Amino acid sequence: MANVYLITGASSDVGIAFIRRVIQPDDIVIAQGAGDLSGLAELCKSYPNIHTYDVDLSDAAATDLFIQDVAQNYPLPTHIVHLPALRVINTKFKNFDEQRFLLDLNVQIFSAVKICKAFLPKMAKAHFGKVLFMLTSYLLGVPPKNTAAYVMAKSTLQGLAKSLAADYASFGITVNCVMPSMMETKFLTDTSDLIVQASAEANPMGRNARVEDVVPAMAFLLSDAASFITGVTLPITGGSAL
Amino acid sequence: MDKQTIFDAVQTIFRDNFDDDTLEITRETCADDIEDWDSLEQINLLSAMEKKFGIKFQLADVRGLANVGDLLDLIERMTA
Repeated sequence: MANVYLITGASSDVGIAFIRRVIQPDDIVIAQGAGDLSGLAELCKSYPNIHTYDVDLSDAAATDLFIQDVAQNYPLPTHIVHLPALRVINTKFKNFDEQRFLLDLNVQIFSAVKICKAFLPKMAKAHFGKVLFMLTSYLLGVPPKNTAAYVMAKSTLQGLAKSLAADYASFGITVNCVMPSMMETKFLTDTSDLIVQASAEANPMGRNARVEDVVPAMAFLLSDAASFITGVTLPITGGSAL
Repeated sequence: MDKQTIFDAVQTIFRDNFDDDTLEITRETCADDIEDWDSLEQINLLSAMEKKFGIKFQLADVRGLANVGDLLDLIERMTA
């Protein structure tokens, strides 16, 4: 059976690597990115069934239109992979930016809520569906200082995942998460090299996570082999957070 | 960039980072003198300085810093 993947944040390094790993010739991939979709453009040359959307998920109206368009023009998604987040800004709590936090909530949380509201009830009727959210190992143990906005948003997303897992398990739908430790991707553009290097040094395996560490775990949780696994969050940390 | 300009900017970053508008640093000030100056705050301080001075530290550059004076000298070399 061909799969229909709805992937938000698909233009990220993880998104592109994930598509490369899982896509089969008959699959349809609906790939949302925002701004720079150049990585997806390369993939589209090899896989004509990748359909890209340039949508700013911080814009609620744009998100609604995106979901409406997907619902009208493609078969029901079999897999929903939700990756997007605004880049982490390490800042003292006294400088907490409420406006940016609201944008991040739109990108990470409300878009996920809207997508799940649009498609999970139909997936339930079809008795098939797999959902995966991207979290962070910052949710394990004591979070790093100065990351309140990121930790709050990801905590909310984890709450959504657990709630959806409970609500939809009886329909055969799984909802799981991965929580990598610091991963060296373009997502870290606004993070000081010092923080990245210090994180690598502090990791028991002596390095930060890589895309190739995370994508196989995502693929597993979205595979038929994981059909009885739901509501879990899989740490991918090299032992840096347990 | 002259020494006084660097010092004033570093002083401002310390005050902002440690939420203390009266904090007075000297070349001899070190982590033992400021209660909250732990390894993470050290990275936050250095990150703020990277932004302020348009420079990029490597861990190897900053590992041997013993006090504010060493830090000022490093910034002076990197902005020369």
